[in-house]
Amino acid sequence: MEEIAGTELAIGKNEQAVLELADFDEVVRVYRPRILRFLTASLTDRDAAETLTQECFLKAWNARQQFRGDASLSTWLTRIAVNLLRDHLRSRSLRFWQKTRGSALDVMDISDWIPDGRGSPESIALARDRVAAVWRAVEKLSAQQRTVFVLRFVEEMELDEIASTIGMNLSTVKSHLYRALAIVRERIGGAK
Amino acid sequence: MKSLKTAFSKEAPAGGTREDVRELAEALSLYRSAMHHVAERRSMRPWTAGPLPRRTFRLGLLLAPALAAAIATGVLVPAYVHDEHRGKSVVGQTTPAPQQARAETRASVDDTVLMNQIDSEVSEDVPDALRPLADLTEGSTTDVSVTEKKNVTHE
Repeated sequence: MEEIAGTELAIGKNEQAVLELADFDEVVRVYRPRILRFLTASLTDRDAAETLTQECFLKAWNARQQFRGDASLSTWLTRIAVNLLRDHLRSRSLRFWQKTRGSALDVMDISDWIPDGRGSPESIALARDRVAAVWRAVEKLSAQQRTVFVLRFVEEMELDEIASTIGMNLSTVKSHLYRALAIVRERIGGAK
Repeated sequence: MKSLKTAFSKEAPAGGTREDVRELAEALSLYRSAMHHVAERRSMRPWTAGPLPRRTFRLGLLLAPALAAAIATGVLVPAYVHDEHRGKSVVGQTTPAPQQARAETRASVDDTVLMNQIDSEVSEDVPDALRPLADLTEGSTTDVSVTEKKNVTHE
């Protein structure tokens, strides 16, 4: 009986996810910030992140008939974004002469950001410095480390969810995350 | 989803003091907050010119073969047509066998006429002034033959 109820619940969730996809404008409105955030943090390139976000939703729109609701809509979209990111990084590594990025994200992008619970200019400046240090450290991570790191600490995804999204073993995800964290920690420590 | 500090405490690399871990957790929390801020601010803007360079690049990728094909068509087809035309004209120049035979016949006829004309001119009668020489030649020849005959008879 419980098993049947569980199956019905799963079917209900799947249908809900598929129905959610039906209103695509709403899907874009709800999930665009998340996908853009993930891609911006992963690429540290504003324009490329926006382009890939657009492509992500375009792909999702084209493949909406194939979405069965097995994963949540968020996970499905993130998976598309991860694949696009992988392709983009591969093509960028081929274009090795393209050293400079015109729209690279920098500390100026958070010039109007005021962290919660900080009022004094000194504490705000200190917070921005710390963010910039993490930012630079994340930029130096390998592509896989960065993806795992961003999904974990920016998107706050569970490890098994990360593993299924990027198609890795759970142990590999843990390994990447551990190394990424060690590197970030070391670099932040050095930057202080 | 769970809180960042709880999550971090599980994944914190070994060997860190409690203070280090706390600082790192705070830095990551600030980083996350900043990334949310940047993404939210940017996602408020409508989609505009972001993808243009990429689209142009892709369009270029799509157009490149078409352009190459157009150039190839522009260069190769006229060259081929030109060659074919020249071939035809060459073929046109090579006359068919009967025509060639007729032309050769005409040429040979012409040659015959010419040869006859030359022959007739060359074999004109010896002018009067040269007549004695002609007789002399004739006589000597006769003499030689007579001498030869005599020799033969002597033998």
